[in-house]
Amino acid sequence: MALLLPAFRRREPRAAPDDRRQRLWLWGLGLAFPSVVLATLTGYGLVVGERLLPHAASDLVTVTAEARQWEWRFGYADRPGQTTENVLHIPAGRPVDVQITSLDVIHSFWVPRLAGKLDAIPGHVNVLRIEATRPGTYRGLSAEFSGEGYLGHTFRVEAHDPASWGAFLRGDAP
Amino acid sequence: MRDVLRLSVPLALWLAGFSGVYALQGLTCSRHWPEDLPARPALLVGWALAVLLQAVLLWLISRDPSPSRFVQGTSLALAAVSLLAAAWTSMPVALTSTCL
Amino acid sequence: MFALGGVLAMLIRAQLASPHSAFMGPEVYNQVFTMHGTVMMFLFAIPFFEAMTVYLLPGMLGTRDMAYPRLSAYGFWCYLIGAATMVVALVLGLAPADGWFMYPPLTSTEYSPGINADVWLLAITFIEVSAIAAAVEVVVTVLRYRAAGMSLSRMPIFAWYILVVAVMILTAFPPMILGSVLLETERALDWPFFQVDKGGDALLWQHLFWLFGHPEVYIIFLPAAGMIATILPVMARTTLLGYGWVVGAAVSLAVLSFGLWVHHMFTTGIPHMGLAFFSAASTLVAVPTAVQIFAWIGTLWKGRPELHLPMLWILGFFATFVIGGLTGVMLAVVPFNWQVHDTHFVVAHLHYVLIGGYVFPMVAAVYYFLPIITGRTRFFKLGEVAFWLVVPGFHVTFLAVHLVGLLGMRRRIWTYAPEDGWAIINLVASVGGFVTAIGFALIVVDIAVNAAVASRGRRNPWGAGTLEWATAIPSPSYNVASIPEVRGRYPLHDDPEIAVRIARGEGYLSWPTRKRRETLVVGTSRAEPLQVAVLPGNDGLPFVMAVATAVVFLAPLWDAYRTAGVALLVVIALALRWAWSNGSTRDEGPLDAGRGTSLPSAWEVPDPPGWWGSLFLLLADATMFGSLLFGYAFLWTVAPAWPPASYVAPGLLDVLLALVGAAALAAGPRLAARALLASRGPWIGLLVALAGAGALTAAAASIWAARPDPTSHAYDATLWLLGGFVALHTTLAAIILAYVCFRVAAGYASSVRIGETRIAQLWCDFAGSTGLVALAAAWLPGVFA
Repeated sequence: MALLLPAFRRREPRAAPDDRRQRLWLWGLGLAFPSVVLATLTGYGLVVGERLLPHAASDLVTVTAEARQWEWRFGYADRPGQTTENVLHIPAGRPVDVQITSLDVIHSFWVPRLAGKLDAIPGHVNVLRIEATRPGTYRGLSAEFSGEGYLGHTFRVEAHDPASWGAFLRGDAP
Repeated sequence: MRDVLRLSVPLALWLAGFSGVYALQGLTCSRHWPEDLPARPALLVGWALAVLLQAVLLWLISRDPSPSRFVQGTSLALAAVSLLAAAWTSMPVALTSTCL
Repeated sequence: MFALGGVLAMLIRAQLASPHSAFMGPEVYNQVFTMHGTVMMFLFAIPFFEAMTVYLLPGMLGTRDMAYPRLSAYGFWCYLIGAATMVVALVLGLAPADGWFMYPPLTSTEYSPGINADVWLLAITFIEVSAIAAAVEVVVTVLRYRAAGMSLSRMPIFAWYILVVAVMILTAFPPMILGSVLLETERALDWPFFQVDKGGDALLWQHLFWLFGHPEVYIIFLPAAGMIATILPVMARTTLLGYGWVVGAAVSLAVLSFGLWVHHMFTTGIPHMGLAFFSAASTLVAVPTAVQIFAWIGTLWKGRPELHLPMLWILGFFATFVIGGLTGVMLAVVPFNWQVHDTHFVVAHLHYVLIGGYVFPMVAAVYYFLPIITGRTRFFKLGEVAFWLVVPGFHVTFLAVHLVGLLGMRRRIWTYAPEDGWAIINLVASVGGFVTAIGFALIVVDIAVNAAVASRGRRNPWGAGTLEWATAIPSPSYNVASIPEVRGRYPLHDDPEIAVRIARGEGYLSWPTRKRRETLVVGTSRAEPLQVAVLPGNDGLPFVMAVATAVVFLAPLWDAYRTAGVALLVVIALALRWAWSNGSTRDEGPLDAGRGTSLPSAWEVPDPPGWWGSLFLLLADATMFGSLLFGYAFLWTVAPAWPPASYVAPGLLDVLLALVGAAALAAGPRLAARALLASRGPWIGLLVALAGAGALTAAAASIWAARPDPTSHAYDATLWLLGGFVALHTTLAAIILAYVCFRVAAGYASSVRIGETRIAQLWCDFAGSTGLVALAAAWLPGVFA
């Protein structure tokens, strides 16, 4: 915009030959400028993206998330047999891998304050790494349109401190 | 028609190479890929082939110029773009984790 | 002329579609947002620029009409019927309600039992047929139907853009058509392409859809960019800066855009390296866009811009599109995408790109070309008022939508709670939306009023340099009285008198001495005059054929497969009747083309326009075939319920049949053409090819016989489809061969009139080579297992 307006203000065209203009506008502003900016940005994105991946970790907790119209069911590797509906319990301060899948149509698992979203696709298991730094309740939603009940297809995440996480695993009321 | 091909083939083959490397990456992460075969060297070879192909095309176009100056200039530029695109877009094979 | 009437009507329809959709907005829900996206993408954006193209392109190229005027008319009627079906479905409440990109399994029978999704799949595929028809025609027109001397480097910049776009349509639509075919066969016949427990995979749809969907964005943007590159230099009273750069940028943008499809699928759990490829490609594609933008800004600096209304809209484009581009770059960054994917941020981004990058430039184009269409100078100044309503209104709306997206509002939810804190922002967005809509309505009023009552204007009111302004306004249906010889990129600047000289008949083919509509065919690269093509007269056939085609596509909605089959036979018969009306039963020899040249008739050359049309139609067909192979490979690699219980293994006889069949298909037409050249009868060659078609069909049928139940596993369904693809093309080749036999018998072939045999050769080559590849693909897993 800043470049556009002066073009209208000038009365007489400056007598520069076309090839000099090409050097400024096309080589300089058209090619070099965006290339440098974009290369930097992509590199930065890849580094950050790499850091968010579910790499191996020592104190890892694994949970499962099964979506269906319009409900979420969560399971816990540390406590086989236990499932919870529309509430996911995790320990705070530890990396958690959520294994996401779907029983019917495509849904998406999204807890905005903990991580980006990842789709739940029938037949596939996608793994999302989340980590809550502090104990508390976080809102989670399904973020892929799934028909009539889409609006209310939400859940919450309870992040526990070590003591209450232990209590949850033992089966005491959280 | 030769001029039209001169303008279009390098980029079309970039697309083929790009899709090929992506398909190879999909294959390395699938059940068909042998466990003991390391994926990254295969991907690096794929990348190198795609870049090499573009270099050859660029050389061919510069060696056999079109009678039209405009077509020759533009096709050289597009072949150069394809070469850069091949180098840039498959660059992740060297940098990121393969199947996570 | 019939075609012209059709094209005008097409313009009117498209102009009506715009405010309609602005009214719909994202306020009224599921069917409405699905239809909003569908209508805007498929029923407005694409047909609108196609209409502009069909109307303006011949003038720009200095020729009389598009290469296949009857095909224009056919495409138009297909579009009209398909669009009407969608609208009726919406009124009846039968419109699809699963989002405009129709992800299965939500769209599979189990979760969408009504015919709503079928309406989408069938009607959209039907409309895409018309888009492909138009694209074939545009490619052939730009490559072969230009003014003499208009070499590639002298083409108007819009011709370059639209050539690129047409090739993109030919290569991007087929994956989508294939996807629709797969989903429709799953819904109608229970072939489980997307059912995971039977070896299908829901992700296959997303790949096929976005393989189309991303290029689609550029298919929409590039014609608008072509309009900007045409209008902006005229408004700045100069010439385009860096013509070659802009051409190169448009071509690279087009091809690069095919390497972006996965960036719509960043959240589907594809490995990070896969995402990284597409992230890199997505940022790369911004570079040619930047080259174009800066070429345009540089052009403004070079000239002395004047602020006419079209220029105003182009400024609106700059202000909006640059923001859309920046948010696009943000979205290309994977981690950011994971966070805002499927929120209103994405919605705002795509509206900035599509409205800023397409609608604003097209409004500029409508105002710019209005004198050609109506012959009048704009008098009432409503257009300026409309501009000041639309652009600020639009920005208020979608800046707010960006914000609410960043605050976490998902797309496609039909309401939200007050405690979400989105209420005021959404209210602001809605008010802005209504202001925008009022502005759009004003544009329509403005155009209608000015078209009806403004004063007659003079020729070439803007002082442009390209040939569409060399005609009287409003432009006559034959465009040019004679076809000019051009020596530069801006013929009207090179020779201010060219309009008069065209009208005086100093160009090629000035007097209709042979009492038929003729135009010039030139060489693709240097545009030297080569042939004299005869354009058809007014004809009702395209309409009848469009109606029959509509029955083929729409009868399955009511499970009326027999009706559809009968209609298909009718379509074939009509197509043959159509083709029959071309050609001549005697050799005319070289014809006087004016300016002292004599050229052969297009009926007496080895590469008639029909050959070029077939070539590019087969390009689309080849892409379709490639997509089918991709789908097969994808399921084999990724689908969870693979491998199937067993693979099909070929018998020796089947392999032999396939090889011999393909060889005969390749050899037959060549033999026939050689015999014709030597003035002998082509019968042996034609019969050899027919036998080859039969053998290859038998080989394909052996696959069906080996796997009788396509509903049991996605592998079987895929085999059926591969076999079907082969059989379809061998049948087509056989029909064409039989047709050529009848033509030869009726005297339509001679040692110079071999064009039709050569067209048959193209189709036979295609059927033979794809047949071999398809059968090899079907048999290979079984051979290795």
